Amino acid sequence: MEDYKFLFKVVLVGNAGVGKTCLVRRFTQGLFPPGQGATIGVDFMIKTVEIEGEKIKLQIWDTAGQERFRSITQSYYRSAHALILAYDITSQPTFDCLPDWLREIEEYASSKVLRVLVGNKTDREDREIPTAVGEDFAARHNMYFIETSAKEADNVERLFMEIAAELMEQARSKELPRYDGNSPSLNGRTTVIGEGGCCSKFS
Amino acid sequence: MAFMKCCFDSELPDFLESVVQKCTDPGCCCGCCSALRPRYKRLVDNIFPVNPQDGLVKNNMEKLTFYALSSPEKLDRIGEYLFQRASRDIYRRRNGFVIIAMEAMDQLLVACHAQNLNLFVESFLRMVQKLLESTEPKLQVLATQSFVRFANIEEDTPSYHRRYDFFISKFSSMCHSNHGEHDLRNKIRLAGIKGLQGVVRKTVSDDLVENIWEPVHMDKIVPSLLYNMQNLRSMRGQGKRGKEYDGKVCTTEEDEADEEEEVEERSDPPTLAETCMRELVGRASFGHIRSVLRPVLRHLDLHELWVPNLFAIHTFRIIMFSIQAQYSYTVIETLMAHLDDNSKSRPKIRTSIADVLSKIIAIAAGESVGPSVLEIINSLLTHLRQSVMREVPSRVPEESNDEVESIEEGDDENSADERQYQEALINALGEFANHLPDYQKIEIMMFIMSKVPHPGQEQIRSHHHRHHHRRYRAPGDALLQNILLKSLLKVGTKYRTVHFNTTFPLSFLEPLLRMSLAPDPTVRLLVQQILHTLVDRHHNLEKLLKPTIHVADLDLTLEKCSRPDVIFARKHGPAMHSSLHESLEQPGNTAENVEAVFTTAALLCAELACEDTIADFLRLLISIQDTALTNATLSPSHKYYLHSIVVSLFILVAHAVPIPPVMEYALKKHPGEEMTFEAIKKVLSDSWEKEREGEEEERCRQLCHTFRNADFNELVSRTQTKQNDVLQNKLNEIFGRLSTATGPDSFFGRSPPPHLIPGSSSPFLGRLHQRRSSASSSQGQVNHHHNSNSPPPAYEILFPELFVY
Repeated sequence: MEDYKFLFKVVLVGNAGVGKTCLVRRFTQGLFPPGQGATIGVDFMIKTVEIEGEKIKLQIWDTAGQERFRSITQSYYRSAHALILAYDITSQPTFDCLPDWLREIEEYASSKVLRVLVGNKTDREDREIPTAVGEDFAARHNMYFIETSAKEADNVERLFMEIAAELMEQARSKELPRYDGNSPSLNGRTTVIGEGGCCSKFS
Repeated sequence: MAFMKCCFDSELPDFLESVVQKCTDPGCCCGCCSALRPRYKRLVDNIFPVNPQDGLVKNNMEKLTFYALSSPEKLDRIGEYLFQRASRDIYRRRNGFVIIAMEAMDQLLVACHAQNLNLFVESFLRMVQKLLESTEPKLQVLATQSFVRFANIEEDTPSYHRRYDFFISKFSSMCHSNHGEHDLRNKIRLAGIKGLQGVVRKTVSDDLVENIWEPVHMDKIVPSLLYNMQNLRSMRGQGKRGKEYDGKVCTTEEDEADEEEEVEERSDPPTLAETCMRELVGRASFGHIRSVLRPVLRHLDLHELWVPNLFAIHTFRIIMFSIQAQYSYTVIETLMAHLDDNSKSRPKIRTSIADVLSKIIAIAAGESVGPSVLEIINSLLTHLRQSVMREVPSRVPEESNDEVESIEEGDDENSADERQYQEALINALGEFANHLPDYQKIEIMMFIMSKVPHPGQEQIRSHHHRHHHRRYRAPGDALLQNILLKSLLKVGTKYRTVHFNTTFPLSFLEPLLRMSLAPDPTVRLLVQQILHTLVDRHHNLEKLLKPTIHVADLDLTLEKCSRPDVIFARKHGPAMHSSLHESLEQPGNTAENVEAVFTTAALLCAELACEDTIADFLRLLISIQDTALTNATLSPSHKYYLHSIVVSLFILVAHAVPIPPVMEYALKKHPGEEMTFEAIKKVLSDSWEKEREGEEEERCRQLCHTFRNADFNELVSRTQTKQNDVLQNKLNEIFGRLSTATGPDSFFGRSPPPHLIPGSSSPFLGRLHQRRSSASSSQGQVNHHHNSNSPPPAYEILFPELFVY
């Protein structure tokens, strides 16, 4: 039944192969797909979670990391309430690209978007990026930070739950209209979290 | 009425049945399981069979439809209830029931009148969304079908609050489906494309609903379509080989005529995506075109689809053929702007973009008017200039006339690419010009001419100081001249001259003739080629490429020149002739240069020779011959060539203008000349290597031509005689005799040409000498010279027309 109170859009970005799709699969379907191919364009998943007795629907848009899909993936940033920027803790290059990604986010996403830095693949032995380095980067850029392992299901649930909780907190503090199952808003947009387009309809 | 009756008859048992059924339904909440449930809910419940495989209960569906029609105010509640049931079924993965619910909603949607639909649509679309959110491909495809059905309904009440961004996002995502199963993947992608098509159809016509043209939407829709279109080739390759990739531009028109459903059923994703793209572009108004083109260009960039550019060409052709004609110019503009953005990209990419431009620019030409034409040309020329400048700094500053050739020899790969880029731009220019009306072509030629860097005035006037001036020229000028004249030539070849005075307005002719004396021989050659294409109205060019004495065998197309042409010839003939003459004297001339000048002269002769103009032509011949005899700086081979040109042109003049004495003369001279000509040719080929050796023959030739020189003069007189009265004839004779007297003069002075005839010793040759030394020789000067040396009245009366100008 459509009885959730909030609907949030979460978009995952980051270099190809850092495990974005695996994070989403682990969270939405509870599985770790071995030999996951590269995502083409954008993938979509939905998951409803419950926080403090409130049902929250998460629309998760999992973007392709490959450069050639950049034009379509960027178009998904704008309506995101939360952006998960993922890197692979065993791969320095994926970490080195983070500033580029941040620039893209600055350019295409809303300024109010919730930004979370995720270091994935903590199950691997060959770590290249120490946790402190990731934390430091996140702190400097005003992001949340968490390290995960999609394979071991480590911190994945927590990642999304905290995002949901944070977004709900934001939504409540701004006294946003609740999403109501009977509301005519088709996409369940909770209006103005991270997007200012609502009033421009008539223009 | 019968139906209605039936409906009421069955009301009671139906009702009981539903109660029974409800109790077995696990989805039923116990509190509602009573006969007190609202009627619409009972009707809805009844359409579901016990076993989902049985499908929608048709009878009961009819009842529900009838109820909805007769009580439209209940429609929204029916929708809401159906949606809730379906949500529950999705959650419990009872897809059979979900499908039935969706089918029921479809039927209601189609059956009900538009004005009642507004609220029902909300539930309907929530239902569609719900299905799209499921991970089940089957449900996603089903949902899309329903959505498309909805999109095809015309609603009469706008729904301001309705948003489509989820659908666009989701459909775009489906367009990129990477499902493991090939067939399923195709189905999902097809569904995605159809969905997008539906959204476009639904929103595009109604200004009040969501603005589909917002970048946030277009940046999803356009790449999704292109991503599917770009697989066209591989798909076709695997499947039927029937359709050629490149010739596939217009095939969908027939498709569109067919039943929509059918087409979409049998389409593959690339074809459907293409259809959808056409539709989208076709609906774009002026303000929206850029929001379509921007993602197209980005997609081509990101997917590296410029080199090779087959797909880019294909895409842009589709755009050009679909776009509302009056906006096609915008596409050109945008593509040119993209070329700007790529100014730092590899030349191969730029070449590809320019090539795409050249492939589509013709389509826009028909729609371009006024300033936009020159804007396009200007932009192309600017790109050419940039390209030339890009090439130049890496080069050694130009010093010699062979510098262009040396560049070509010392090519590295990059500048070869750069040159290809220039070729592509020139092609684009040519293509564009080709599709413009002729009057605009002249405008364009003049415009290009105005962009050509001209050699300074003094430079032409004082040949001796040329090297001095060259040093001050901006680097790359010659190269730029070269490129721009090539462009001009390209445009010129697309132009068809009717009257010379329209083709050569003074503001065009003058700089052109000035350029014909440019220091760079390749530039001079280009100018001659431009003249060829513009002068040659009767397609004699091929026949007049090389000097020949067998003019009669050439089968030239000759036509008596018209009055305007004669006026033109009188007005501008002398200037053209003198520039031709001077061109022949340029020191850096190659055999090609000389031949090209010959061809120009020959073509002019073929087009313009008549009684009124023959004197001018003959004068040109005499002055060329004089140069061959007297010029100190020319190589012997060069001189022989000039002689052969004179012979050939003379025969041509005689052939073109049927004045008996001239013809007679030509015929009389024929056998001897043939010999001479052959000799010249022979000597020519030898002398390129051993120039000095031919001195004996040279002297021989001089002799022969000096004789002829005299005869020419006589001829000039005779020609004039025909038009004048007896008195003049008398004077003429005097003049003739005088000229003949110059013959022996030159005969006796056998030594090297420069010393042979000092300007003052022979009035006739002296005149020529004078002419040669002043760039813009005027007949006035000629006359002036004559006045001081020979009986002035004779000449003045003989050539009255000369003094008009």
